[in-house]
Amino acid sequence: MYRGREGQWAFVLHRMSGVALALFLLLHVIDISLVMWGPDGPFNAFLAFYHQWPFRVGLIVVIAGVVYHALNGLRIIMMDFTEWGVRYQAALWYGVLGLTTLIGIPVLWKIVPEILGIA
Amino acid sequence: MARAAAPRTFSDAKATYQTNSELAWWVFMRVSGFLLVFLTFGHLWANNMAFNAGEIDFDYVASRLAQPSVKVYDSFLLLFALLHGVNGLRYSIEDYIQRPQRRVAAKVALFTVAGIVFVLGVMALWTFSFTEMGDAVRALEP
Repeated sequence: MYRGREGQWAFVLHRMSGVALALFLLLHVIDISLVMWGPDGPFNAFLAFYHQWPFRVGLIVVIAGVVYHALNGLRIIMMDFTEWGVRYQAALWYGVLGLTTLIGIPVLWKIVPEILGIA
Repeated sequence: MARAAAPRTFSDAKATYQTNSELAWWVFMRVSGFLLVFLTFGHLWANNMAFNAGEIDFDYVASRLAQPSVKVYDSFLLLFALLHGVNGLRYSIEDYIQRPQRRVAAKVALFTVAGIVFVLGVMALWTFSFTEMGDAVRALEP
């Protein structure tokens, strides 16, 4: 299952997206918690900073990471709790990649024009 | 203790982990992961698809956090995502940091940051009373 085949790449991507999402989560909770300082606090300035295009592109990467990690997580659950999951794990992984790409289309369709300012 | 290859079935997990708490975390990662699929997709839908995330500001966040349903939803999201994410980071620390002293230091730093972030998150979600937030939002209207 490992040895550089699908299972290993599934694991590597799951680990990388997981670590990145966990670090994003910590940062995300901290910056949203700035609402506590009210409308005249630092919240709006921080948000304006994050609305710059490199961060919005970064947010698309975060969304891609969430979708991959979620779908591959469901693949792991199938491998752990069904008797056919491990047998079809490679095919399931291609399904994860395909579905991630498919979900990416409407997401890009919605967000890219917003970033380009033509929404 | 170096961790063996990730166990693939529940009986595998029972054989791999020497303590009940590691087995409990193994189960928790799968149960919380399943719930988080729906919680995060809903969160992303509300804030990135149903709304232009580039226009999020104080008024938007205040109007959302004034709704009891959002408070409850986001509280579950915060709890499960933090526990799931921090436990995942703990697995990574145990996999990649070999020296015992550095490993302990990394975990202490992780749990400290996670604790602070949890408190900040709970405060942001629950400090303001519903009425107070409602008044604040109504005051926004011209």
